[in-house]
Amino acid sequence: MQWVEKYRPEHFQDVRGQEEAISKLVVFVQKFGRSASAKKAAILYGPPGVGKTTIAQVVANETKSEIFELNASDLRNRDNLREILKPASEQMSLSKERKIILIDEVDGISEADWGGLPELMALIDSTNWPMILTANDVWGKKFVALRKKSEFIQLKEIDYKTIKDVLISILRKENKFIDNNILTAISVKAKGDLRAAINDLQVAASMENPSAVLDNERNIETDVFNALRMIFKGAPNSNVTSVFDSVDVPIDEIMLWIEENIPLEYQGEELYKAYESLSKADIFKGRIYKQQYWRFLLYQNIFLSYGISAAKQEAKTGFTNYKKPERVLKIWLNNQRVAKKKSIAEKYAKFMHIGEKRALHEFPVIKNILKDPKIRKELKLEQEEIEYLDRDISISSAN
Amino acid sequence: MASEIWTEKYRPVKFKDVVGQDDVVKRVEALTNSLNIPHLLFAGPAGTGKSTLALVVVRELFGDNWKDNYLELNASDERGINIVREKVKNFARTKSLGEVPFKVIFLDEADALTPEAQQALRRTMENYSSTCRFILSCNYSSKIISPIQSRCAVFRFKLLEKKDIEKVIQRICETEKLTITPEALEILYEGSEGDCRKCINLLQSTASISPSVTPDLVSTIISNAKPKDIKVVLDYAIAGDFAKAKEKLLDIMLRESISGQDVIKAMQKEIWELPVEPELRVRLIEKTGESEFRITEGSDPFIQLQSLLASFVLAGIGKQSH
Repeated sequence: MQWVEKYRPEHFQDVRGQEEAISKLVVFVQKFGRSASAKKAAILYGPPGVGKTTIAQVVANETKSEIFELNASDLRNRDNLREILKPASEQMSLSKERKIILIDEVDGISEADWGGLPELMALIDSTNWPMILTANDVWGKKFVALRKKSEFIQLKEIDYKTIKDVLISILRKENKFIDNNILTAISVKAKGDLRAAINDLQVAASMENPSAVLDNERNIETDVFNALRMIFKGAPNSNVTSVFDSVDVPIDEIMLWIEENIPLEYQGEELYKAYESLSKADIFKGRIYKQQYWRFLLYQNIFLSYGISAAKQEAKTGFTNYKKPERVLKIWLNNQRVAKKKSIAEKYAKFMHIGEKRALHEFPVIKNILKDPKIRKELKLEQEEIEYLDRDISISSAN
Repeated sequence: MASEIWTEKYRPVKFKDVVGQDDVVKRVEALTNSLNIPHLLFAGPAGTGKSTLALVVVRELFGDNWKDNYLELNASDERGINIVREKVKNFARTKSLGEVPFKVIFLDEADALTPEAQQALRRTMENYSSTCRFILSCNYSSKIISPIQSRCAVFRFKLLEKKDIEKVIQRICETEKLTITPEALEILYEGSEGDCRKCINLLQSTASISPSVTPDLVSTIISNAKPKDIKVVLDYAIAGDFAKAKEKLLDIMLRESISGQDVIKAMQKEIWELPVEPELRVRLIEKTGESEFRITEGSDPFIQLQSLLASFVLAGIGKQSH
């Protein structure tokens, strides 16, 4: 499990460094509906990783409200929206007394989707429940109309000492140790983004040499960011093909960076063209591996740089906060989890005279049978494997 | 001790108990009684009794000693033909115990071997033919090279018919004291697609919740077992939410440990349900095929799948990808 999820705060006292924002938000929720002049929506805004969504969830939790989350496509479809909100606004929630409607990352809604704006405004007028919106940046045109109708609550970057405190408390709970200097460096490097810091911490804790997570990473990251900026923002020109020369990162890793960030920059047709280019870069990468014909590297490089750059209709402006590739971490975490599933399937397969692959394939059915303690004993499942099964069953029944 | 896992507990141990493959059973039984079987090739769909029949054969041949004289390998699990050869060599080195002058090697899913590996297997079969008999199983005999086919007696297993599966299920229900409605039986059969093992597993899964097997319960178990979420991925893509579609796809692939090809297969089915114009649908099918090809050419299936999702995003706003 990702630590950012595992240690997401649930109570006020667990949230660090955002006391002011929390008290404003609590007042907003409590005042909601008490007077005609009270605002019906609050916008939490601030840089990534400072706790916007977390605070919304904590406030809901502490005010015994149920969160009702909407996304951009819900907004766009009028009938759909009404259908979804009907039960939310009319019925009382079964378990909780109140509801909060949450719309995460409103500024992430693309131009195409922003057709939902009138719907959103109407929704704010008519809602029976407090609405919380989150955004990175609220100074764009689309927020002008929203400004009148909603309370603006700013979240500040979290200072590095607070970040470091959080990291230390997580390490304690995980029973892991990382050198103090490295912790300081991770905290500083995060530049106020607690989520990024916790992600870095988890990677560092999984490595034999945790300081490797930092080795020049700041510089490297700046280099990668600059390269991405050139590719995504600028007009395509032949210089862009040498953009990776000065970046000290293997091209396969650059590919992951590009993969992660295409959706942040491109939409619709541009998105499609960019992925087409990435897809071709990957084909050449495959050919290099299979045939050991390294001249194909040239094509991989061009598709990754010029190809991605040429996907856009015109040069882009504005600042984009590029994300670090997350897929590798997710795969690593999952492998830890799946190792248990594999060993269970292996035992079962042997016992049942079938192949392991088939056992894995049929796992969704088989796992029901493996609830029986007698069968667990029969297959000589170990404690850890049993724990995996119990957890897996509780997850799938929750869905 | 009888197993608590029903596919094992109710696995036939005698020829007469094997359901639904009358001709095959009769011929194999005759060969077994002569105590001198040739190499055998069992071809047919999953869950029709190939492994079971192989086990019946060795039980008949060796009686209680069958485990010492029987080696079971799975071609899709072993890493390469060399491992298979090594295991065969070690096993075949010692002579068989008892009156039967050979041991039996069962190679399951033999069609997972490449033609080159099968050539090597043919050599191995010849080298040890004095001490070993091979029983190969495969889904399609056409995927087995002809030199091997010509060395084996080939038996084709049919998909189990409804009455056969019903017989098996009724018997289990009686012994396990379950009640089952005819309608539930029908759904169970449909969900099993003629695969007896799958059918029994589904029954036991259902029975683990309640001894009264109802249509609703069976349907729930079956639909829970399907990777249905691929539809959700496409819904997000068609609605224009690429980021969510991508996140969900990675989630599913990791959680269910399914391959890129599996995802493509599931998408192919879902394309028919999408709200798009016929012409666009054809384009999407073509793109899907192209992505499947690119997965075999490229290095990273997830990149190819994302690229495919981008086509669905375009289709969602009514545009064709080029």
